Amino acid sequence: MRPVITTEALTKQYGNKTVVNQLDLSVPAGSIYGFLGPNGAGKSTTIKLLLGLVKADSGSMRLLDREITDKNRLSILSQIGSLIEAPAYYGHLSGQENLQIICTLKDVPETEISRVLRIVRMEEQKDKKVRQYSLGMKQRLGLAAALIGNPRLLLLDEPTNGLDPAGIQEMRELICSLPKQYGMTVLISSHLLSEIDQMADHVGIIDKGQLIFQDTLSCLHEHSGTRLLLRTDNDKAALQLLKRSRIPAELKDGKLYLRVLEDKAVIHAVSALVNAGIGILRINELQMSLEDIFLHLTGRQVSL
Amino acid sequence: MSSSFIRQLRAEHQKGRRRHLLLIPFIFLLFQILWAFWQLNYADQEELSSGYLLLFHHLPMMNTLLLPMMTAVTASRLCDMEIKGDTLKLLYTIQEQTSLYDCKYLTGLSYLAAFTIGQGLLIPGLGMSYHFGEPLKWPMLLEHLAVTFSVSAALLAIQQTLSLLSASQILPLAAGLVGCFLGLFSLFFPAPIARLFIWGYYAAFPAAAMDWERDTRIVHYYEVSFPAAGFLLFLAAAIAIYLLCRTITARKEV
Repeated sequence: MRPVITTEALTKQYGNKTVVNQLDLSVPAGSIYGFLGPNGAGKSTTIKLLLGLVKADSGSMRLLDREITDKNRLSILSQIGSLIEAPAYYGHLSGQENLQIICTLKDVPETEISRVLRIVRMEEQKDKKVRQYSLGMKQRLGLAAALIGNPRLLLLDEPTNGLDPAGIQEMRELICSLPKQYGMTVLISSHLLSEIDQMADHVGIIDKGQLIFQDTLSCLHEHSGTRLLLRTDNDKAALQLLKRSRIPAELKDGKLYLRVLEDKAVIHAVSALVNAGIGILRINELQMSLEDIFLHLTGRQVSL
Repeated sequence: MSSSFIRQLRAEHQKGRRRHLLLIPFIFLLFQILWAFWQLNYADQEELSSGYLLLFHHLPMMNTLLLPMMTAVTASRLCDMEIKGDTLKLLYTIQEQTSLYDCKYLTGLSYLAAFTIGQGLLIPGLGMSYHFGEPLKWPMLLEHLAVTFSVSAALLAIQQTLSLLSASQILPLAAGLVGCFLGLFSLFFPAPIARLFIWGYYAAFPAAAMDWERDTRIVHYYEVSFPAAGFLLFLAAAIAIYLLCRTITARKEV
C-alpha cells in the first residue's frame, strides 16, 4: 500500500524542549493507523504539524502524494478531515447550522449535511443547539464536520477522550467502518493500547517525540511477546506433548504458555492435546499492556 | 474580492445567527440619543442657536467615553464563539489565519458603520427636532463621522486581536473599559502626551471648539478648521496598527 502520509526527520522544538524529534512516519493508504504514545509524547503536536497548525523547525512532510508547503497547504487539506483534541463547535447554533458553516467554508453543497449526519447517526438531534449536546454527541458532530466533502484522509486526535463506555464503543464502530465503506485512510491517536488494538491495523508508537515502533499491529503483537495461557487437566504432560510436536511452549510459575498466535498453529496445538486425551479447561490470550511494551521497547517504565 | 473570500464572509454571517450583534451599536446609540435629549432640553435659546456646533463639540467626548467599550464588546461577541467552541484549530485547516482575521474585521466594521450611520442620522434629526438656528454644514458632519468611524476601526483591530488571542474575554473587555477612561483622561493631558493614547483620538480632530467666559458664564461655540494632515497621519497609523495586529494573530500557533 502506498503511503498517504510520509514525514522525514520531522522536528519541532518549543524553546529547548524537542517535542517531535526526527519523526519518520509512514501511513499506508486505506489503513487505520493507530498513533500510540503516553500523554505528552508528541502525538497532538505531530498531528498539528501535519495540518500546518504549527510550523516544523526541520524535516519534510508529504500528504496524499504531495509535498506540503505554505502555498498548497489548504488545497491539500481540502481532501483531509480532522478532529483535534476537543470537538470544535458553535454552541449557540444547531448541529445543522454548524455543518452549514463548514459546507460554506469548504464550498461543498449543503446536501452533504444529511449524508454525514446519517453516517454519525445524528439526524434526530440536528436541530438541537450544540451547547445542549452531550460530549459524545459533540464528538460525533466533530466527526461529521471532518467527513464533510468526503475526505481521503482523516486525522483524529484522541477522539474517544472523555466519552462514556457506550460512546467509546459507538465512536470505535464508526471509525472502523470508514476505510471499508468510504475508502478513507484514518490516523487515530491514543494513549490506550486496548483502543488502538480494537481499531487499527497499523501502529506507530511515539515516546518523547521519537518514533520507537512502526509496523502492522500483528507485528507489534509478535514484537511485544503476546502469548496464549493454556489451562489443562495435566499441564506437565501437555508441555511434553507440545514439545514433542515442536510447538513452542513453556511452563512458567506453574502456568503453561503457548508461544504461538497464528490460528493454524493454535488449532494444531489444541487438536494434538485433545487427541492425546488431555482435557483443555481454558485458553486466554495474554497481551502486554502499553506500559509493558514501552518497558520492552525502551527499557524504561512510563506512567500512562 | 475573490469568491473564496466572499464565502468566508458568508460563513461569518452564518456564525452570527442568534448573537443579536446589531443590538450592540443600537444600545450605544440609544444611550447617546438619551444623552442628547437631556443635554438639549437643558440648553437655552443661545445654545440652541448654535446647536450643531454644540453637538460637534460634545459628541466626540461622548464617543471617547463610550465607543472604546462598544468596539471591545463587538470584537468580543465576534471572537468569543471561536474561543469557547475551540474552533480555531478546525477553521485554520480550511481558511488562512489572515483571511479569518480579515473576515471578522470586516464583519465588525459593518456594526461600527451601523453606529456611525445612526449617529449621522441623529445629528440632523436633533437639528430638526430642536430647531437649531443655523443650517447643518455637511462637510463638518462628514468629517465628524469619518473621525468616529476611523478611530473605532483602529480600536477594533486592537480589540479583535486581544479577543482572538485571549482564552477568556475578561482581558479584552477590561482593556476596552480602561481605554474609555484613558481616552477621557487624555483630553486633559498636554497634547504631545495625549497623542500617545489612541482612545482619545475621537476628540483629537474636533469640528467645533468652545469658549467659556468665567465672569458672564456664557459658553460660545465656534467652528475650527479640520486638521486634514493630522487626520491623514492618523489614518496611516491606523492602517499600520491593523497590519501589525493581523500579523500578530496570524503568527499565533493554535
